[in-house]
Amino acid sequence: MSERGSGERYWRSLEDLGDDPRFAEIAAREFPSLLPELADPRTRRTFLKLMGASMALAGLTACRWPEERILPFAKRPEGRVPGTPERYATAMELGGVARGLLVTSYDGRPIKIEGNPDHPGSAGATDSIAQAAILELFDPDRSRHPSQRVGGAHERRERADYESHIKGRIAALAGRGRGLAVLGEASSSPSLARMQGRLLRRFPALRWYEYEPVTRDNERLGADIALGAPLRTHLDLSSADVIVAFDADLLTGHPDALRHAREFAARRRADDGAMNRLHAVESAFSVTGAMADHRHAASSAAVAAFAGQLAAFVLGPLGELPRGLAQALARTEGRATAPFVEELADELRAHRGRGVVVAGPGQPPEVHALVHLMNDRLGNVNRTVHYTEDPGPTRPSHEAAIGELAEAIRSGEVETLVILGGNPVFDAPADVDFAGALGRLADSVHLSLYRNETSNACAWHVPRAHFLETWGDARAWDGTISIVQPLIEPLWGGVSPIELLSLLGDGEPAPGHDLVRETARGYLGRGGFESAWASALHDGLVEGSRLPRLPARPDPSRVARRVADWWPPVTPSETAGLEIVFLPDPKLHDGRFANNGWLQELPEPMTKMAWDNALLVGKATADEHGLRSHETAVVSVGEREIEAPVFVMPGQADGSLAIWLGQGRSVCGRVGDGVGADAYRLRTSGAMHRAVGASVRPTGKRHELATTQDHFAIDLLGLEETQRRRPELLREATLGEYREHPDFVRHRAHTPELHELWKPVEYDGYKWGMSIDLTACTGCSACVVACQAENNIPVVGKVEVIKGREMHWIRVDRYFKGEPDAPEVAFQPVTCHHCENAPCEQVCPVAATLHSEEGLNQMVYNRCIGTRYCSNNCPYKVRRFNFWNNQKATTDLEALRHNPEVTVRSRGVMEKCSYCVQRIEAARTLAKREDRRIADGDVTPACAQACPTQAIVFGDLNDRGSRVARAHASQRSYAMLEELKVKPRTRYLAKLRNPATDGGGDEHGGHA
Amino acid sequence: MTTPPPQRAYYQVPDQDPSRRARLVLGYDDFSSVNDAVARIVERPRPGAGWYVGFAVSSALLLVLGAMVTYLVTTGVGVWGVNQPSGWGFAIINFVWWVGIGHAGTLISAILFLFRQQWRTSINRAAEAMTIFAVICAGVFPGIHVGRVWFAYWMFPLPNQMAMWPQFRSPLLWDVFAVSTYFLVSAMFWYMGMIPDLAMLRDRARTRGRQIAYGLLSLGWVGSSRQWHRYEVAYLLLAALATPLVLSVHSVVSFDFAVSQLPGWHTTILPPYFVAGAIFSGFAMVVTLLVPARQFFGLKELITVRHLENMCKIILATGSMVGYSYAIEFFISWYSGNLTEAFVFVNRAFGPYSAAYWLMVTCNVVVPQLFWFRICRRNMLVMLLVCMLVNVGMWLERFVIVVTSLHRDFLPSSWGMYYPTWVDILTYLGSFGLFFFLFMLFCRYAPFIAVAEIKTVMPLAHAHPPEESHG
Amino acid sequence: MGDPRTAAAGSGRLVGLLAEYESVDPLLAACRAVRDAGYARWDSMTPFPVHGVDRAMGIRRTILPKLVFVGGLTGALGGLAMQWWMNAVDYPVVISGKPLFSLPAQIPIIFELTILLSALTAFGGMLALNGLPRLYNPLFRSVRFQRVTNDRFYVFVEADDPRFDAERTRKLLEATGCVALEEIRDVEE
Repeated sequence: MSERGSGERYWRSLEDLGDDPRFAEIAAREFPSLLPELADPRTRRTFLKLMGASMALAGLTACRWPEERILPFAKRPEGRVPGTPERYATAMELGGVARGLLVTSYDGRPIKIEGNPDHPGSAGATDSIAQAAILELFDPDRSRHPSQRVGGAHERRERADYESHIKGRIAALAGRGRGLAVLGEASSSPSLARMQGRLLRRFPALRWYEYEPVTRDNERLGADIALGAPLRTHLDLSSADVIVAFDADLLTGHPDALRHAREFAARRRADDGAMNRLHAVESAFSVTGAMADHRHAASSAAVAAFAGQLAAFVLGPLGELPRGLAQALARTEGRATAPFVEELADELRAHRGRGVVVAGPGQPPEVHALVHLMNDRLGNVNRTVHYTEDPGPTRPSHEAAIGELAEAIRSGEVETLVILGGNPVFDAPADVDFAGALGRLADSVHLSLYRNETSNACAWHVPRAHFLETWGDARAWDGTISIVQPLIEPLWGGVSPIELLSLLGDGEPAPGHDLVRETARGYLGRGGFESAWASALHDGLVEGSRLPRLPARPDPSRVARRVADWWPPVTPSETAGLEIVFLPDPKLHDGRFANNGWLQELPEPMTKMAWDNALLVGKATADEHGLRSHETAVVSVGEREIEAPVFVMPGQADGSLAIWLGQGRSVCGRVGDGVGADAYRLRTSGAMHRAVGASVRPTGKRHELATTQDHFAIDLLGLEETQRRRPELLREATLGEYREHPDFVRHRAHTPELHELWKPVEYDGYKWGMSIDLTACTGCSACVVACQAENNIPVVGKVEVIKGREMHWIRVDRYFKGEPDAPEVAFQPVTCHHCENAPCEQVCPVAATLHSEEGLNQMVYNRCIGTRYCSNNCPYKVRRFNFWNNQKATTDLEALRHNPEVTVRSRGVMEKCSYCVQRIEAARTLAKREDRRIADGDVTPACAQACPTQAIVFGDLNDRGSRVARAHASQRSYAMLEELKVKPRTRYLAKLRNPATDGGGDEHGGHA
Repeated sequence: MTTPPPQRAYYQVPDQDPSRRARLVLGYDDFSSVNDAVARIVERPRPGAGWYVGFAVSSALLLVLGAMVTYLVTTGVGVWGVNQPSGWGFAIINFVWWVGIGHAGTLISAILFLFRQQWRTSINRAAEAMTIFAVICAGVFPGIHVGRVWFAYWMFPLPNQMAMWPQFRSPLLWDVFAVSTYFLVSAMFWYMGMIPDLAMLRDRARTRGRQIAYGLLSLGWVGSSRQWHRYEVAYLLLAALATPLVLSVHSVVSFDFAVSQLPGWHTTILPPYFVAGAIFSGFAMVVTLLVPARQFFGLKELITVRHLENMCKIILATGSMVGYSYAIEFFISWYSGNLTEAFVFVNRAFGPYSAAYWLMVTCNVVVPQLFWFRICRRNMLVMLLVCMLVNVGMWLERFVIVVTSLHRDFLPSSWGMYYPTWVDILTYLGSFGLFFFLFMLFCRYAPFIAVAEIKTVMPLAHAHPPEESHG
Repeated sequence: MGDPRTAAAGSGRLVGLLAEYESVDPLLAACRAVRDAGYARWDSMTPFPVHGVDRAMGIRRTILPKLVFVGGLTGALGGLAMQWWMNAVDYPVVISGKPLFSLPAQIPIIFELTILLSALTAFGGMLALNGLPRLYNPLFRSVRFQRVTNDRFYVFVEADDPRFDAERTRKLLEATGCVALEEIRDVEE
């Protein structure tokens, strides 16, 4: 990170912390005297607080080598074994949908997040955002105390201050609570709903608004049109043979993406010789588009048009095309209907009940309505498509809500506004001018994890408790209720939304724990509540709380009417100008994670871009407007304009620009401040997902983007060579080819016969190996963050990434193939291959890297002197060097998230993937205790554990039956750069594609 | 002197003799004048202004080196331009370059001595000094280029509390042994050669300080014939040992690359190629230093045009070998049928670093061809220019080998570029400071020319038939 | 050069007689004379190694080469043993799946150590056999002798040679046509 002096800032706030009487008292006393407190059942949480503080205080005196104090358990609390990790189930709510998690806690410190295997939405997998939540918890930039605006600036206040202030307001309010309004984030929390209900009963005049910048309201509205109710659509990809996605990123950009990815990948492995087929029609290149067998790049509007045409082809022959609709779709304004649409229709009809048509949140409600109609007529409903109630069916759309609120404030109907989380000042539609409205308001309270743009605009700021610090509950996409249980006491005394609401409603803050239990009594049933509660906590979910599936039939005539009014969509043209599509940032979501170094530095799967957002432009459009990558351009829609760096993205639809929302934060923190461009300033209500009539002009100003692949612009020579090597490095075939030549991998590269020059070392104990299935890998990059969290991998910052010094132990290589306007994409995760003849070892002068008797290529950090020779000699270039003291910027607070099982590397030392050797050792201990061999599945590296598609498999190659041994035995299995005879322990399973036009394909296994 | 006997013919025949063998020592007919010529440099109360200027500049650069190294050690290797995939950069390039330069001295001394090439006598001292200083400069870089300088000593097989030993399969370790051996042997060879001349300075010394200093350094040498006898045997042995050593050192340095499996590094031609290149650059540096030196210190009669011309011939020869290596590398990369290998070389010539490549070819292969012409071999200015260009070219050669091989290896996904930082550049310049600082001191305080040896090639040094002798 | 009979350096015990010559030829003659006279403890000093003086003085070939050979052998075997012991015995680890000990990888270091120890022996041996460093030498007391590193040649016969007799030795040397003759005396005790 650029700011290395961050330590100082931390100390200052520590003094603040020191002022906290409770803390002062704690810190004043010597630790032994705290033992009674440690005997308390909530020890693990109290304990952390003390430890964090003490380490921090020690740090005050000694910066370089903080003095650490040992904290002995004189009386060990029941069931506490110091130094052994414990796992607790909890959940993280994002955009109103819960992700089921399992958090590893070490002596009271949560250090690692995994997916909850029992959770329907997770099945043990996680996405990068959930993985990075640990970093957010220990972020030194989190808000640490309440504050009140005095004049321009905010002044520090105590908890009692805002509590008394709120009590005062409540008392002052007219009995019905006129003038009081609450702005909440999208939430599916039963407790929150209950509190909301109670509040509304107490103050009938209270206005409740809900706003979420990254909204899926179009799905609700579409369902409303077609089905008469804003039902929620659920896809069952495990039984889908044909999937047609219109601007829908099912695999990463959907609340249920983890389940989608798992089910989708399960149908790709072609073990039974069959595969599903994915068609993607989209404007910006998404992960789903990358995985598609056929991808059609089209502007977002054209996508809608194609959807309409598909509907015509699908419904027409079924004789079920309502007249209005038929007439509407006939008026295609001479737009030639692409042949592929007709083929799609045939294919869908051929797979009645085994197909899925789905549209993305960016598509207008009418398209969603048509999709519902198609799925219904194709017999997919109740087979591959299901409907359930949507939580909060009656609420207005987020877009409308925020507008109404701003209006209400301007008209003076709202005097007191309580904002529960969120950051509307930053992310509300530009035309609403929420900041302006908020400015008029004398009394506003903002509950927030960070002091952000909105906090500064509010009269009061209240620190919010992180979800790992507080009690709560939330529903998964399928409605399953999860209990959010804390792993640690609030570090900075924050409160949760429900706690704040209880203060608002009852005038007295109730502890979240009680509130959640109270709610739980509702759905856990009176009988045997305690045991039900205990098991709910243990499992992390409430059995059978899934939302019931509802039968629903679309009403063709209503769909026809609406579509007729809307049709045809305005597509980019000379007259209409360009279209610009607003996408949630794949890493920062709506921008709330902008201060998360792990996410900022994570290379986005498609662009491989870290630390920025950019204007994504297709080749043709770029040439037409003279746009060049790594230079900025000014985009304007109407009178609004922003300047953003340009990234020329292969496969981006012509005439369509795309940009991620969420970057360009101004009040964020040491990581996120001033990174990227703020696209919200272009986004207005009515054009929440897509604006037409955009124009763009290059400025010629240089803006270096940090891309971790093609670090520097690659010349033609290099590009040609890349294309020549790709088929050997990343072997793939179409399903047809695979059926014809099951051994195709061996013919992709011409490997000379390899002979032994000496007697090879034999490994007759365990023989660890890994297999990565390129067919299953979606490139989502959750593994990268999982690895970063597990192995204490530092964040190096944008400048260093540009220099090519990123530290990630696992990277996901992305290769393009074919024409730049319609390329095929394949992903290849690369990490240390643990070669048996490791080239890195023989060149190390001090034997700092060597082989274990189980065949691990080990790195001995203490022995490394940093010649970097090993890295030069590594053909996979997976070794990472600490060019600086990368831990220098790590405050003692952040250090608490470090995995104690993994050394923190010093400056000048080489590091690399260890196959998560610490997990192997943990499993060994366990197995020894049970006096048995380590069984298959006992050891799962962080990357494999996070992987939503189970693409990564790890285990003992000497165990014939192990998954990895079977994978290595597969016909698709190959070793990259086999010809070097380094004997890598990591092998790949070749990628399979399933194009409709499967004519055997060319030498490289692509399709025409 | 009538009808000189054949065995002492060559050093007496005048310049215009068809056999083109100029006298090695011009203008001096007695021994003491040689003494004076050399000792004068040392004994002048104050050297010329030129020396002071040169000394000041080199000291300044030496300070720069110190500053850069301090900055590096306190901050981290990150201050350099190295990255993934280019783990090596200027440090290694400079190391190889300096070691290469450090080859001429010992070569001139040892090999020419073995071949009884007596024209070496008046240049070998300076050349050896240059060798030693160049090796010192070279030694700086491997030391500081590691990530944890304070542990660099782990490369030596020293007993330690970790009970760990070095890993002897690593070419880097071979390097450590080769370079340190080379330094020690060259230093002994140089010092041993100086002992009689230091004694000469001792005997001429008039100030107490000089008497003590040179007295200690000359170890009490009295030039007794019994001493001379063992001295000559030892000198011969050292020469015989140094010769294979010279050839081995740069071969070992080339192993750093040849033994790896990186395309562009992993080639068997590297050892001979490197040795030729080393001699090439070494001789170029000797000429670069001697041409001005003989000017400043008025040693034109001792370092004659013939000496320089001979060196130009060697430069031409080795330069051609280097050129041949460039050509054969390309041929083999194509002939091997290994596409990855082939790409490296195409990438060298036509990739992002092509400029460096073609400049290298120009400096190392094209320019030295001037030495086919006698006029160029005898013109100081041309000589100086060519030799400087050769040194530039040889630096570029190491740049091309190190960087172009690293920046694009097996996986295109991990390709990158290497750009040096200001620290890289100043460190390199600083190493010149170190070199010239030492060389200036040498010029000022040490016998610049091997006086005793010169005397052996003078007519007087040889016994005459008794009847010709006069008292 | 003045009168041969003058200037005795020092005033203490007589160390020996120093005869000075202007060129190589009389020196060689003198050497033959002294050699034939059967003296053992004597030497000749010259500014540079004079061709043929060895034979003229009857100097036997030095054993230095044999010492150097032993040194080189030690280096070779030592290098081999060191690498074998360190990598295959005392600290054996699997490196790149290679055998713990394989000669090819050890050769460069064996070679370097061979050269290093040989060179050290040659240099050290030369000094030792020559009795260097010897910072005090009565000859240094002679002003005349300072030309030994310049242009004069000397024969020095030590006084503690069994055949040494101040008069006879003086005569012998005078007969060799020296340009000067000088008694070298040590300091007063």
